[in-house]
Amino acid sequence: MNDFIRYTIAGLTLGSMYALIALGYTLVYGVLQLINFAHSEVFMTGAFGSYIVVDTLVGGHGRQNGFMVVVVLGVGLITGALSGAGAAWLLERVAYRPLRRRGAPKLAFLISAIGASFFMSQLAGKLFNRQKNNSFPNFFDNRVLFSIGEADVRLLQVIIIVAAVVLMFFLDRLVQKTKLGRSIRAVAEDAPTAALMGINIDKTISRTFVIGGALGGAAGFLFALFSSLSYQMGFFPGTKAFAAAVLGGIGNPRGAMLGGLTLGLVENWSVMFLPSQWTNVIAFAVLVLVLMFRPSGILGERLGRAA
Amino acid sequence: MNPALAFLRSDSGKRLGACLGLGVALALMTGATGRQDDYLYAIKEDLFTFHLIENLLIGVVVWLLFTFWPVIRRYLTRPGALGLLAGAMTVIVAQTVLGWYEPEDAKFSGLATLVGDTNGISALSSAFFGWLAWAQLIAVIVVGAAALVLRNRALFWVGAAMAVAAAIIASQAHKKVDELAGVVDHATGVTVAVWGYLTIAVALAIAAISTDDVARTREFVNAVLGWRPGFALGAAATALALYSLGVSSWFAPKSLNATLADVHSLFKGTSLAPIAVQYFIWLSWALVIVAGALVLVAAYFRSIILGIVGAAAAAVGLVITMISIHAITSLAANSENTYATKGPWQNLGDGAWWTCASFLALAAAGLVVAQSALKGRSATAADAAHDPSAGPRFLYAPGATLAVLGAAAAAAIFIPPTLEPSWQTALVTSIGIYMFLAIGLNVVVGWAGLLDLGFIAFYAIGAYTTAYLVGSLPVKPPFELPVLWAIPFAIAVCLIAGVILGFPTLRLRGDYLAIVTLGFGEIVRLVAVNSNGITNGPRGTEDQVPHPVINLGFVKFTFGLDQLPYWYLLLAVMVIVIIFFRRLENSRTGRAWAAIREDEVAAQAAGINPVKYKLLAFAIGASTSGIAGVLFATNVGFFNPDNFKFEFSILVLAYVVFGGMGSLPGAIAGAAVLTWLPEFLRDQVPSEDRQMYIGAVLVIMMIFRPAGLIPAKRRATELRGHGPDSAESQAVPAGGGLGGSYA
Repeated sequence: MNDFIRYTIAGLTLGSMYALIALGYTLVYGVLQLINFAHSEVFMTGAFGSYIVVDTLVGGHGRQNGFMVVVVLGVGLITGALSGAGAAWLLERVAYRPLRRRGAPKLAFLISAIGASFFMSQLAGKLFNRQKNNSFPNFFDNRVLFSIGEADVRLLQVIIIVAAVVLMFFLDRLVQKTKLGRSIRAVAEDAPTAALMGINIDKTISRTFVIGGALGGAAGFLFALFSSLSYQMGFFPGTKAFAAAVLGGIGNPRGAMLGGLTLGLVENWSVMFLPSQWTNVIAFAVLVLVLMFRPSGILGERLGRAA
Repeated sequence: MNPALAFLRSDSGKRLGACLGLGVALALMTGATGRQDDYLYAIKEDLFTFHLIENLLIGVVVWLLFTFWPVIRRYLTRPGALGLLAGAMTVIVAQTVLGWYEPEDAKFSGLATLVGDTNGISALSSAFFGWLAWAQLIAVIVVGAAALVLRNRALFWVGAAMAVAAAIIASQAHKKVDELAGVVDHATGVTVAVWGYLTIAVALAIAAISTDDVARTREFVNAVLGWRPGFALGAAATALALYSLGVSSWFAPKSLNATLADVHSLFKGTSLAPIAVQYFIWLSWALVIVAGALVLVAAYFRSIILGIVGAAAAAVGLVITMISIHAITSLAANSENTYATKGPWQNLGDGAWWTCASFLALAAAGLVVAQSALKGRSATAADAAHDPSAGPRFLYAPGATLAVLGAAAAAAIFIPPTLEPSWQTALVTSIGIYMFLAIGLNVVVGWAGLLDLGFIAFYAIGAYTTAYLVGSLPVKPPFELPVLWAIPFAIAVCLIAGVILGFPTLRLRGDYLAIVTLGFGEIVRLVAVNSNGITNGPRGTEDQVPHPVINLGFVKFTFGLDQLPYWYLLLAVMVIVIIFFRRLENSRTGRAWAAIREDEVAAQAAGINPVKYKLLAFAIGASTSGIAGVLFATNVGFFNPDNFKFEFSILVLAYVVFGGMGSLPGAIAGAAVLTWLPEFLRDQVPSEDRQMYIGAVLVIMMIFRPAGLIPAKRRATELRGHGPDSAESQAVPAGGGLGGSYA
């Protein structure tokens, strides 16, 4: 039972990050009907961007007092989101928009996105380094906040879950209530008609990328806090977040949140039955199974009808 | 509005911004490598030094090229322009990248320093390596460019003459250095530079004669090839053979470079087979002259019989040449003196192999003559004039395809022995294997239009199947097989794996398929990493996978560490696969694939079962990859899951896309170029950075030339898109909002 609680908490932590990344996939899919293969690299950029700023700010001083923790968190989330958003904006400009203007077929978009993903990851490898063991300064010292039974709940886990939930709440409001959200939904529903209604499609697509990129970049910061950061860090979380998006119903933001949490939980619960090195295999197996039996996901696919 | 601001908001200004962005990207790409102790180190080094300015200048040059493209294009399409450009690039590459002096392993600049430090060097050499090399290149380019701009015939001739003189100066200057040092130098730099200058000379000479306003390279090439089918190839082959017989090195153990005549005196009085003795005195010349004359006369008179006789004579010449070179090398292998070779076929000079290649090409030329004469004596280049509906075909002259194939076969068979061992290794382990994989992936992506991102998984399955069957894994098979017998099993296992993966997923949309195959590729790799008991985990194969043995009863050949035999094995399998795919492409199946790729619903309505055909493509691609896996496993002996990372799937995809999706020659050429280039630039570009450039190449190709290097006929029309009106070809309408802004 204690194991179960422990794994559930870990699963919620991981799952909330998957959900944040999955939102990027799902939003872009909603407006473009394309998988943004390079989103995992947007996530990675967010992690590196926030690391550089936070590291310059506080240096590797280890444990910080309460005030600094808040500062680090705020700065990290903001810089992560900013670098993720910037990367996503550039990505859309360079790898997607020229193809869209030429009316290229879908395969060309996919290949261009894969090329961009490859490029970004390897460029990060060159610029920063190709080691796999870079880690964030440890600000929180694995402090235990409280315990449920004998299962400890750590400060970091709480921070990640809370931050993710807050971000997701704001995103949901943004998509549902704001003018921008309305235009995103309109483009997703029917782009030509949306254009007739006076919506600037190019701008909307660009902004969708930026929003997805900001969430992914913030997730990159959170992920790097409890794991490590490397130029290839995007691959597994990215693929799994995509699986999560499909699981919840790609194109549907609430589905992505649900799918992310589900996948995080399934992955962690599986450790109770199988050795931990099989977790990655399980995530992919879940993806294949979902696609086989319910390709439209748990909540269905439409961004426009998410409300 | 402020004029500066207005400029920035204009299309040209935006383009300048993009080009400066390109400059920044280039600065980051080519700059310093990061450090773990200081994450900002590389960025600081790249962006706050002179390095950034250099790359921004490149960006500005690109912007100027874009902005003045209509003007530049007018000059570039003039006769001779492309030749001048290509030749100049060749010389530049030769003088920056290639080796110029083998004993010191020096490039041009290295040799220049050496020459500067040496006394008693000839005036020509010291001038050439001091300043003349670059000065003459610039002079040739300036004169050539001036001739192009002014369209002055005399100036063209002056440029051509200067290029020839430059070629002579370069070769003489280099020769003098070698003579002074008294060494044997196999460095390629000077040869390539001379070829570059000769290219310029030929291009400028053609431009001087030409009366056209625009270059018609395609028409010119086809006119040459089609004038008398087979003549051009025959003449080139004869010339190469005569050159090899007269000048080139035939026998090069240690520090010897013996020409044909030297070989004769070297082996005088030994127990050399009589036919080889005669060969080195006169037979070689006689064979070349007879076969060459027969083929050329046959080509001129379009005679079927003479063509076949010429081909037969060339074949006889090839056999006798091979007997003779085998005789000298095996004799020398058993001798004790200083000219002992490492074994039969070893230590031969370039000339020996070039002569073999020439004979093969001559035989091909004879067949070209016979074939095109059979097709109709009246067929000329003019008759077979380019049919515009045939799509973007480069070679349409009668017999041209066969002639190119013959030349390619001669090169593929007889050039590799002249390469250095490191290049032979590269040829097999990276170029050959990846060509094979690209051919396989081309079926899946190019023909059936299924994006497979886990292609390397089948390669891994093939390799592990082989390792299992020969008993190199911890789990032992019921009976151990010789390694080449693993091929059918690998094909079968990969077929089954392909069907198992494909059956449930091929009903899905294209992008889902991509991600599922990606997942599958990772699952295969992770299983290989994690199942210690079966695959020996990350440590890789337990025992060596044995090298193959070919035993046909009368001949027995054991492969070893020498890479060359693997190349021939690979080539043989590849040729079989290519012929099979070639037949498949235009069969019912191939057409079904094209139909599904272009419109699945319409194809279904026409009675094609998409799942069945997609599955077939998937399985065929998978089994090709499996064969490549077998050949890889037996070549390297030991391998581990790291050989099958996700990156490699992307690399193969990049090769197919770069070459031209759906085009078999494209896939081969794409893989060849993109695997050759990094090997070629090994000293210039860190090997870890290759993948970065590959990624950039993918994006750029998709933006500017989605159909690839050698576009497939059917595919080219499709990838060009259907303009902004057609809804089904786009993800989203291209126009911005109320439209018209980019119309």
